[in-house]
Amino acid sequence: MSGERVVVEGIDGHGRVQWRERVSLHADRTAFTVGRSVHADVTLDDPHAAAMHASVEIRPDGRIFVNDLGSMNGLIVCGKRWLGARGLELPDHTLQIGRTRLRVRTAHELLEPEKPYYLRASLLVHSPAWIAAIGALVGGVQLAYASWLSAPRDLAASIVTSSWAAVSIAAIWVAVWGLLSRVMQGEWRWLRHSAIFLGVCVTFVALMGLLDMAEFVFALPPANNRYMWIGAVALAFALYLHLTHASSLRAVRAALVAFGIPVLLAAGNHWLQERYQVRNVNYIGARMRIYPPSLRLQPSETLANYFKRASGLREIASRRLIDALANDPQKDDEN
Amino acid sequence: MRPTVIQIKSFFGSNTAQSSHGTGFAVREGGVFITNYHVVAERVQYPGKYRLEYRTADGETGAVTVLAVDLRHDLALVRTSGYAPMPIKLQPSSAIKGDRAYSVGYPLDVGLTITEGISNGNVDDSFEPRIHYSGAINAGMSGGPALNAAGEVIGVNVAGYRFEQLVSFLVPIAHVQALCDRSHSQQSDIGLKKDAAAQMRAHSADLLGALDGAMQTQLVSKYALPDKIAPFINCNASGNPVTDDLVQTVQIRCLAKAGLYVQQGLYTGDLRYSHYVLSTSSLDAWRFANRLSALTAAIGSYGSPRHVGPYACEDRIVGLKGFDASLLVCVRRYRKFEDLYDFTVRVSSLNSSKQGFASHLDIYGVEFEPGMKFIRRYVEVMEWRP
Repeated sequence: MSGERVVVEGIDGHGRVQWRERVSLHADRTAFTVGRSVHADVTLDDPHAAAMHASVEIRPDGRIFVNDLGSMNGLIVCGKRWLGARGLELPDHTLQIGRTRLRVRTAHELLEPEKPYYLRASLLVHSPAWIAAIGALVGGVQLAYASWLSAPRDLAASIVTSSWAAVSIAAIWVAVWGLLSRVMQGEWRWLRHSAIFLGVCVTFVALMGLLDMAEFVFALPPANNRYMWIGAVALAFALYLHLTHASSLRAVRAALVAFGIPVLLAAGNHWLQERYQVRNVNYIGARMRIYPPSLRLQPSETLANYFKRASGLREIASRRLIDALANDPQKDDEN
Repeated sequence: MRPTVIQIKSFFGSNTAQSSHGTGFAVREGGVFITNYHVVAERVQYPGKYRLEYRTADGETGAVTVLAVDLRHDLALVRTSGYAPMPIKLQPSSAIKGDRAYSVGYPLDVGLTITEGISNGNVDDSFEPRIHYSGAINAGMSGGPALNAAGEVIGVNVAGYRFEQLVSFLVPIAHVQALCDRSHSQQSDIGLKKDAAAQMRAHSADLLGALDGAMQTQLVSKYALPDKIAPFINCNASGNPVTDDLVQTVQIRCLAKAGLYVQQGLYTGDLRYSHYVLSTSSLDAWRFANRLSALTAAIGSYGSPRHVGPYACEDRIVGLKGFDASLLVCVRRYRKFEDLYDFTVRVSSLNSSKQGFASHLDIYGVEFEPGMKFIRRYVEVMEWRP
């Protein structure tokens, strides 16, 4: 073995390389020292490191071992502190001395093949700029449609008003995530966050519109909490994508946070709604939206059938009254 | 005459300050007085919480017990303890239009008062018989007598429109006579409440019975819709006279004004309906449907959880005569009055992109089967006549 080169990297809390130092090894010298002293091969600027803290040995087969040179704080390997360690292997080639995390790279390590880099993304999904642009366009169309549907008289003013509101909300949302990215990852990534926000919003609005229409077309019974649950799923997706792009959270943790929060919110809201509905004697749920009659596919039912089913309402109303009385915190003693 | 008219006060719990007050007058010997049911309603519905006292013009006071009630005519027969003046004479015949009349009572706690007016005979097209009296009847005079020039009672003060000019109402004397003849013996508190509940059911049955005939319709934008379906139903229609509006809307609102006052915030046996009929020549199908959508939302008519339970609803698309419509029927049950229900109904047409209607029907405090039967008739007469 002659003239092997070793690179020692200082890693920060997000796993990024902060500094690099080269050490040359050869047949007579298979180990190097790390410590605060200038006599150490790799000099650390860490008050929790000893002057000569550890020596790192590279075996011919590429395995890396470490010896404690009598430090007070010992070595942290695989998340565990070792005091006075001798011949301790570094399975992941990383080591912590004091507060400094080090990675040792040798010529034995396998490099991943070079990744292709395109000046223009080949797939649309890889290009946040495209997604953001398409999202903005579709969102604009959705806003215009909503305005057109309800304000035939002063369409332009209505579109401008709703656009202002939408752009303000989007700007605040993207700014918050951009700031988080800047703090955690060192980059603003505003294009990616815009793409995530616009993509998820536009998909959610389109989905709700289609479901509303399907309810009319196929004469489905109205579903009361639909908006809330689908909204929670959309929020979960958006949060997941934002978190994985803005923070150093790993995918599993990001998924837990991203899906946990909306599910908890939606479940809490659902529970509140149920309680409210049980007690609110004036509550009648949401009703089907009406679309042009030519879209209808499902035939209507006969009045006889309708009233046969409606005769069961007496039973249901009685049961709901009993439930309401059981849930009533203010009992009326003169019933 | 002066001592035969007393003030009747209602007190909550052991309070010495009154919660409400009205007037009463002697109709039988032995301290039997007539007043309005609504003066003693809280006492009848919450016997453990309210008590009644009388106060004469001379300042004498004592307890009052309720003997019998007539919710429909807003009358109550009460007995005073320790005060039994000579009864006033009742006029044997019914009131004549144009006769001078005098209303007596204790308005706003300012002491015994007499107002002068004209009796205008029976009110036209009212579900409950009432005499129209053109004279002042203010709060507190309820239950007091209205007299003719001979000093005979022609009716009982019942209500006045607060912001109108001296349009007031009297209960005809015949109903006083009927209540006096019906009962002299004292009923228990529970007996009174049961009697009141039975009267509410009977009233709701009478109301729906009175609407049982052929249901008259009127044609609005090619839809035949229930019109003034009984003489006592009061309808008015309005529209937007600006013809360049993209959608023309006609609103027809009808009220039965038949509700029984049961207690504060609770009226039963009433009904109202309205139709919102839209038509357009220039608006496209999508925006027209959206306009119609805005009228189908259902908000329950206000009810208090003290009186009713939550709604149970059925919401489907049904085939009516010549067109399809979405039909929502919601039902809620009364807490204290078994077999009484509120109904909220919404019908919206789904057949045309140029015409459409949303119809709202609310029925308060009726029995289930007759209520459903009425709703079915209400939607069955609706028709599309292109």
